[in-house]
Amino acid sequence: MRSPRTLEVWRLGTVNYLKSLKIQDKLVSERKSHQIPDTLLSLEHPPTYTLGKRRTDHNLLIPQSQLTKIGAELHYTQRGGDITFHGPHQAILYPIISLRSIGFGARNYVETLERSMIEFASMYGVRARAGNKCETGVWVGDRKIGAIGVRISCGITCHGLAFNIDPDLNYFEHIVPCGIADKEVTSLRRETDALLPKEEVIHKQLITCFAKAFSYDDVVWKEDPSFILDTKDDG
Amino acid sequence: MALRLLWASRVASHLRISVAQRGFASAVLKDLKYADSHEWVKIEGNKATFGITDHAQDHLGDVVYVELPELGHSVSQGKSFGAVESVKATSDINSPVSGTVVEVNKELTESPGLVNSSPYEQGWIVKVELSDAGEAEKLMDSDKYSKFCEEEDAKH
Repeated sequence: MRSPRTLEVWRLGTVNYLKSLKIQDKLVSERKSHQIPDTLLSLEHPPTYTLGKRRTDHNLLIPQSQLTKIGAELHYTQRGGDITFHGPHQAILYPIISLRSIGFGARNYVETLERSMIEFASMYGVRARAGNKCETGVWVGDRKIGAIGVRISCGITCHGLAFNIDPDLNYFEHIVPCGIADKEVTSLRRETDALLPKEEVIHKQLITCFAKAFSYDDVVWKEDPSFILDTKDDG
Repeated sequence: MALRLLWASRVASHLRISVAQRGFASAVLKDLKYADSHEWVKIEGNKATFGITDHAQDHLGDVVYVELPELGHSVSQGKSFGAVESVKATSDINSPVSGTVVEVNKELTESPGLVNSSPYEQGWIVKVELSDAGEAEKLMDSDKYSKFCEEEDAKH
């Protein structure tokens, strides 16, 4: 019989992208040395474009110099995946979990992230599906509603998923999202007729779907975000 | 998938095969050594060639990018030296031995899928000159590695 699995959840509100990277680095290191259990960060970013390890900046369609004009930042990261946009009203989950303790590889992990988002979408009557080959992510028809880009180091995950609740989709016009041309981006707001509750409620629902998909026995909701937001190397 | 099973059964005629819990045969080659992060290494004198195992490539999904180290780069046993990308995930690859990189498989730049289709042959990743031949003792042989894979797969 396997030992019970606990997930600690931090709900952080809006966090600057670079700050979120520093927090994740710290947590990955602590997870590797077994100082903390599996941990999940739930947050949003201010308008931010990010690139993956392959640095596919040809998929940014405006000059970098224009980014401040539209109120956005650009960051290069070590995660998988292509260019994407993060912004207000997009729910982000960054799981810092040990895949080795559940015998998962990248494929199982990503598929389970997809299932989390599909399950969540179904709560609003939205029939989402996992992407076809080379189109990892979550789609409603041919419209992308959830994106994934992760990094796995010594079996510990960071980065994660982004689900469009009701972001300003115009920001996606300035990129070839995820490097997939001729496919639209959509949001929960666009796809459902259901009344959307407060975002706090929506984030909690997404977290619950994640915890269920990954078979956690216990979810511990951490109450004091300043505990990890006030990291020593504040940048 | 059929092609992979055909390849696996050809390999099987010379090798020991471990059967994973779900009945999928993950090929494990007898003459290689293995790290618990699923890299294999072939040691020949003071040179070693390594890559990732069949178990690893199956768990990764289709590899679309391989980050190769520079020639002359030092690698250390158990430490990351590069990464692969598959299904929007970058996964670090650890070196199973310590040494200096003398050759990298440039084919992987154009054809990263070789890691999936031929993980022990055309999908080799790095060749090094060993700095400590004794380190190989810390690695698993094929029997131990097969068992290790079965135990890992049983976790879910």
